[in-house]
Order: sequence, then structure tokens, then C-alpha cells
Amino acid sequence: MASVKDYKTILKMLVKEPAGLTGLIIVSAFLIWSLIQGSLELISIYTKNPRYSYMLLPHNPFAINPALALHPPTLAYLMGTNGEGEDILSRILYAIPRDAFVAIVVVFSSIVIGAVIGILSGYIGGWLDEIFMRITDAFLSLPALILVIAISVPLKANYFGVILGLSIVWWPTYARLFRVQVLEVKNADYVSSAPIYNISKARLFYKYIFLNVIDPILAYATLDLGNVILTYSTLAFIGIGVTPPIPELGAMASNGLSGLPEAWWWPLFPGLTILLIVMGFSLLGDRIQEILMGEVMY
Amino acid sequence: MKGGFIIFLIRRIINAIVTIFLLIVLLFILLHIIAPNPLTLAKIYSGNPHPTYAQLLVVEKEYGLNKPLYVQIITYIWNLLHGNLGEDPIYKVPVINLLSKYIPRTLEITIPATILSVIMGLISGAIAASNRGKGLDYFLRGVYLVTWASPTFLIATVFQLAVAYYLKLLPPYGIVNPALTSPPNITGFPLLNALLAGDWPYFISVLRHMVLPVVSLAVANFGIVTRISRASMLVNMNADYAKLSLMKGLSRRKVVYGVVLRNASIPIVTLIALLFGSSMAGSVAVEDIFQYHGMGWFITNSLLNLDYVGIISTTIIVAISVITANLIADIMYGILDPRVRVIG
Repeated sequence: MASVKDYKTILKMLVKEPAGLTGLIIVSAFLIWSLIQGSLELISIYTKNPRYSYMLLPHNPFAINPALALHPPTLAYLMGTNGEGEDILSRILYAIPRDAFVAIVVVFSSIVIGAVIGILSGYIGGWLDEIFMRITDAFLSLPALILVIAISVPLKANYFGVILGLSIVWWPTYARLFRVQVLEVKNADYVSSAPIYNISKARLFYKYIFLNVIDPILAYATLDLGNVILTYSTLAFIGIGVTPPIPELGAMASNGLSGLPEAWWWPLFPGLTILLIVMGFSLLGDRIQEILMGEVMY
Repeated sequence: MKGGFIIFLIRRIINAIVTIFLLIVLLFILLHIIAPNPLTLAKIYSGNPHPTYAQLLVVEKEYGLNKPLYVQIITYIWNLLHGNLGEDPIYKVPVINLLSKYIPRTLEITIPATILSVIMGLISGAIAASNRGKGLDYFLRGVYLVTWASPTFLIATVFQLAVAYYLKLLPPYGIVNPALTSPPNITGFPLLNALLAGDWPYFISVLRHMVLPVVSLAVANFGIVTRISRASMLVNMNADYAKLSLMKGLSRRKVVYGVVLRNASIPIVTLIALLFGSSMAGSVAVEDIFQYHGMGWFITNSLLNLDYVGIISTTIIVAISVITANLIADIMYGILDPRVRVIG
């Protein structure tokens, strides 16, 4: 048993085992690249100089070149080119920060909403619990993908619309997790004796409950970042999300279908990139869960 | 005991109905928060990117969008109970007619995919558990890790490329060979129609077109079954009854795959509804890749056509089918494991 607070111990245990180490390397590479490339893209928007956004990439991801269309993978174009002659590797690298952003925002907002609903539901109980849990049940009864599709049209289905849509449907799992945890600590002495010491409700909920039950939820959240990326890329695959010509992994895989069967590299490399990222998160999430809880819960 | 089961059954059915209604209410509330004004709503419902003011007023009147929210919800549920989901603005026919054509085709791939993923997961979970810590265990865990982390569209694309385009074993897209005339539509399910009419060439063609979508969905979803059945097998293999069976002189193979697997597979029942739900979600991408014209293809097309009535109706029908699957799984679990009835 360890706690998130001794992150040094967790890190040491992670790097000892090949699965945890692989996960850690993939996830760190993904996040660091997203931070660097994402900042460059923001700088290029701010300075209105597109050159900054691709200064680290092997090629300009927007350079349409019919002469190079459907060029198979070579040393110069490691992942080949698409139907318009754009370099696929550069487009993948350009697209990655958007996936990181969507995953972090959606999981973070779900933890916040889930904590509020789950803690109130578990601590107060009664009819409030009944109403909250009925609502979470209704949300959980449908796959998140279908729910986001259902509300994506009124949300305008652009990038920020998708983030909002995913955040609206993603929190119920967290509400459930928090509620179960709260029910466990609710009768512990340090929580039940809180009213005697005149501790405010806000302080009780945050310091005594939230911070004490957050560990298993953070372990699940690590794994869940990958789930968000999977759903987000499937939405992009069917045409909801980032507007062209901005590259997006799911949308690239979908466009790439038109190159089959000859240009296999066009749909496969974006899909494999998603696979690698999601695998990194699930390897890391599993290991963190093992370290924090001593076993994998499910 | 018998009375207890009936009460359990009734509670679960009421629960399912409440969940469906609540989901409809939540969808309407969300929609009204996003588009609070009747004219904005009318624009979403119109299926036309640039409608005129007069057109908007017509749409507003048709769907009663200017009425209070609760009236709209009650009217919608009332109509739903009568099988009326409104007219599709793009195809100009009742949506229910479109859905009764597309939903059975999707069920025809998602139900077999769910069954196949359970079978694949149980077998690979049992093999992994009985070879715990050996190479085969690590290999199977690697396989499910990869399939689990794969987007469904990647798996479907790989199958289409490898099996249909390179090996040319199966057709790469479509529902049936278009050269064949379809048998009379009795059930809505192409496969059953062909079977009832005794039309074997049609039946085989439908079957050949089904294989790749079904296998793609099953491969994308079986990982969770492997994982849970492996864990459950490991717990059960140490149980007293398993040790007793070994002591009685049954072979290890018989104990693992006969006695333990049967007990360990009970928790998998709770996964069936989840698997069915993820197959339904996965079918959206899979049907797009294999050009399999079912519910997933219809919803993708509705997105392109801005056909909001089509999208919301499909969502609600999918919700009803997933919640029904959940109910069936719950009841099955209650039959298999009587302890659940008390808690429920």
C-alpha cells in the first residue's frame, strides 16, 4: 500500500518492472511532446507565423504536393504521404497535442463533477442519493460515444464542442467511484467526529473526504485518459471534432480508407499511434493501481 | 423463494423503464440548455444549414418547440409509446420506418459479436489462468492489451486490408452481393429472411458479408472478458471444490476447463450488457469501414445531413436496446446466482 503523496516510491516501483517502465516512457513521451508541440502551435497562432508550428517536424504538414501523393514509407517520409502528398508522420506529430489536451480536460472535469456529485450523494444519502444515482445510471446506460453523438449537433461539433460534449457525459463513472469510496470512510472516526470539532462542511468534504479517497480514483483516471483518447478519435473518425485542414488522428484514419488497398500506410499509422498512446496509459494505470491498492480491482 | 424471484424481476423491469424515461428527460434538458431559444432549436431540427424564417416557424410548429419543456417531453414519450418518432426531415418518411430497416441489420452483427467475444474471452482467460506465469499467459495478456487499446476502426481496417483485400477470402464491403434479389422481408433481419425463404445463395452472401464486421467487433471487445475470466478462474482454481475435484481423481484438464470454468463464467454474465453496448458503439465505426448499411452507418449519414431527428431517434432506440440487454443480463445473473436477488 502506498499513497499518491509518496510519488517517489511509486516512481521507483514503476521503473522496476518492464510493463510499468514501458507505460511510463510512452506516457511521458506523449505528454512532453504535446507540451512542446502544443506551445509551438499556440505561438504560431499568436504571432501569425505558421512556420513556428512545424519547426520541429520533418516536413510541413500542410504542404500539398500532388507529385508526392501516396508515396510509400521511405527514409525521407517515414510513414509515407497521403492522397494530397502531405507527410503523414508530420501530420501525426502535429495532431498529438490536441489529443492530450482533450484527455486531460475531460478527465479533470469529470473528477471535479464526479467528486461533487459522488461525495454529496454518499455523505448525505437519502433522496438526494437516489436522484443523483438514477441520473448517473441513465447516463451510464448508453455508451459515451453514442451520447456525445446525440448532443454533438447542437454543440456545433467542433473541437471545443467535442470537449464539452465529452465532459458532459464522462463524469458518471467518477461519481460512482467517489460515492463507493465515501460510503467506506463515512463511518470512520475521523469523519464522523468532525462535527464535534466544528469543522465546516466544505473543509470536511475537501480535506477529510476528498483527499482521503482520491488515490484509487487517480489510478483509474490514469487508465481513463486512454479511454477518452479512444472515444475522441472515434468521434473524429466519423467526422465530429477538429475542422479540416487541421490534422486529427481519427479523421486521418477515416480519410485513409480511400487509399485502400494500395496505400495501407495512410489509415494504419494514425490508428497505430492511438494504439500506442492508449496502451501506454493502460500499462501505467494498471501498475499504479497495483502499487496503490496492492491489486487490480477489476 | 419463488415469490422473491418475481419481486426481483418486477423491480428490475421498473428500474429499466425508469432509466429509459430519465434518459429521454435528460437528453431534452441538455438540448434545451444548449439551445434555449425555440428558433435555435428549430434550426437544429430543420436539417437545413441555412433555413429561412418561414421554414423555421413551420419546423417550430411541427415539433411543438415553442411549448414548455415538460409538454415537449410528455408529448415525445407519448408518441414514443405509440411507435411514433416523428418524420425524418431528410428522407421525408417516418423515422421509425428507417430505423426498423437499419436497427435489425446492426443487431445482426452486434449480437453475434457479443456472443463471440464472450466465447473468445472465456477460452483465452481460462488458458491464461491455467498457464499462469508462463509464456502463454504473457502472450494472451499481450494480445488483449493490444486489442483493448486499439480503436475499433484500426482493427476493422486491418481485417479489411488483410482478409478482404490481400487474401481475397471475404468481400471488403456491403451487406450482400447486390446482384442477388432479396427475399421477402418478413423479420427485418436479412439473414432470417433468407433462411425463411430458403434462399441459400442469398443467405451465404449475407453470412460472408457479416463475418468481418462481427469478428472486428468481437476482437475489439473480448479483452475485458479475458481479463475478468482470468482473474475469476485464478480465484476459483484455489477454491476447495476445485481441490476436491482434483483429489477425486479428475484430470487437471477436466477440473480447469470443466469444473472451474463453469463456475468462473458466472461473473461474465454481468459483462454481457457492457459488451453489447460497446459493440453498438463500435458498430458506428465498423459499419462506416465495411459500408454495412445499418444503424451506425445511418447515424454517421445523419450527422453529415444534419438530420437531428434521425440522430436523436437512433440514440433513444439504441438506449432501449442496451437497457433491455442489461435487464436480460440482470435476470440471467439472478437465475444463475440466487444471492443477487436479495441485494437487488
